[in-house]
Amino acid sequence: MRKVAIVGGGLTKFGVRKATYKELAQEAGKAVFEDVPNLDKKDVDSLFLGSAASDRMAFQSYPAPLVAEQVGVQPNKVIMRTELACASGQAAMRAAYGSIASGLSDIALVMGVEKMNTPNMAETQTTMAAVMDREWDGVNGMSAPPFFALVMMRHMHEYGTTREQLGMVSVKNHDYSASNPFAQFQKKFTLEDVINSVEISKPIRLLDCSGITDGAGGIVMTSEDRAKEFTDTPVYIEGLAQCNMGSLVSNLPSLTTWKPMKKAFRAALMMAGKDIYDMAFAEVHDCFTIAEIIAYEDGGMCKKGEGGKFIEEGNPYVGGRLPVNTHGGLLGTGHPLGATSIAQTVEVIEQFRGEVPEERYVGGEWALTHNLSGNANVHSVLVFRRGG
Amino acid sequence: MPKIDLPYLLDFCPLQTEDFTRIHEFFTNLKEGKFTTTKCKSCGEILWQPRVVCPHCNSDEMEWIDLPQEGKLFAFTEVIHGAPLGMEDDAPFSIGIVDLEDPKMKVLARVDDAHYEDLEFGQEMRLKIITLEDGRVWFRWVRK
Repeated sequence: MRKVAIVGGGLTKFGVRKATYKELAQEAGKAVFEDVPNLDKKDVDSLFLGSAASDRMAFQSYPAPLVAEQVGVQPNKVIMRTELACASGQAAMRAAYGSIASGLSDIALVMGVEKMNTPNMAETQTTMAAVMDREWDGVNGMSAPPFFALVMMRHMHEYGTTREQLGMVSVKNHDYSASNPFAQFQKKFTLEDVINSVEISKPIRLLDCSGITDGAGGIVMTSEDRAKEFTDTPVYIEGLAQCNMGSLVSNLPSLTTWKPMKKAFRAALMMAGKDIYDMAFAEVHDCFTIAEIIAYEDGGMCKKGEGGKFIEEGNPYVGGRLPVNTHGGLLGTGHPLGATSIAQTVEVIEQFRGEVPEERYVGGEWALTHNLSGNANVHSVLVFRRGG
Repeated sequence: MPKIDLPYLLDFCPLQTEDFTRIHEFFTNLKEGKFTTTKCKSCGEILWQPRVVCPHCNSDEMEWIDLPQEGKLFAFTEVIHGAPLGMEDDAPFSIGIVDLEDPKMKVLARVDDAHYEDLEFGQEMRLKIITLEDGRVWFRWVRK
């Protein structure tokens, strides 16, 4: 098995974009190739495209060759699209990792592209509801906000997590996204703003939710021996793990303890030979404020039920015990499903290179990214080491 | 652009007749006021939702069993914004997960006639069977 490196990456501006799916792909391609100037497009032998719902939201099936043409590559080893809802981008990275580690691919372009804003928001909401078991959960109006509302109210009930503690997650992540040029929400909010924002699915309010976001991004992955051709600061993938348990909401082992998250964090860190507190920072999947609280707990940063206290005591901030979501998270930067993991990875690249603003700079040697997908029934984790 | 009716396959409610599904009996039972699911004849597992193959032992020998039509409310929410197509006019509407006693399992469904503030943990709930305009049936929870 070859060691796998990420040598660069780039993103489009995230938000409600006046641009099509294909135009977002072009912008992301430009950003990637400008970040890796020594790479000749002809040497890209593989394309892995994370795209969760292009079929419905962009009315475009079979998007991988379409994106290849848009960015100007002609893969001759592997070309595929990966779909894993909110973790589609990390699924693409995982497929690229396997292909490079095995020696099948040498230089892979890994992209995430998502167009979510359409003239009719109910269309987008319909697509999101179909991420649930459409016939037995979606039919009851289940979608992401109601699911995480059930999780949040149970967590508050079982552990005494407070409205204020949940709100602090949103305030923190918007504080960081305010200085992130690609973020959908480059704006800070107060705790009062969060607690008084519009109700979406009780008890979840608007500022507990990540955005409905158009956006795209890409990274270049290659083997360790090729990495130095392209960068002085390669980012090595030292650990990776995934775990799935269940699908139907009624059958999940627990709403408030995410067993597959615990397993995926543990396995990825074990593969890297590291502990969670060896990480300089962690980018976790804060699709809703409650998801970040549970990530503190089931990601092993604090005891079960103490996620609220963990943020209240200042631990997940830059300068705290373990900075979480230094790029602003999904809450602050938006959540263009397939591109979300790519944005987290670009944050790791920029942190390791020292290219982020001083107020949210952490740097360090190790970092972790995490995505959940669907009704938190799949968790995907990557552990990175700074090379060079 | 012409107004397009919701295509059948973008409709959330499952197709229920023998032509489309092998668990059509669930829906005919529901029409008759019975709330049922499948139990594996080989390993005895009770499966939700109804299945044609047991995920535990791979047997395809199933029998239909009656489920209780009442239980206790475990978790609930009320959808205010963001309802999907076909449900926009229903919002606000509530959704709840109810614990059944025997067999021990959870069933998620819409909760009719109750806002979030009307609901409590452990509240006694009962099943309500509804008939859609086109004759299909489905189930919801209401307060007992």
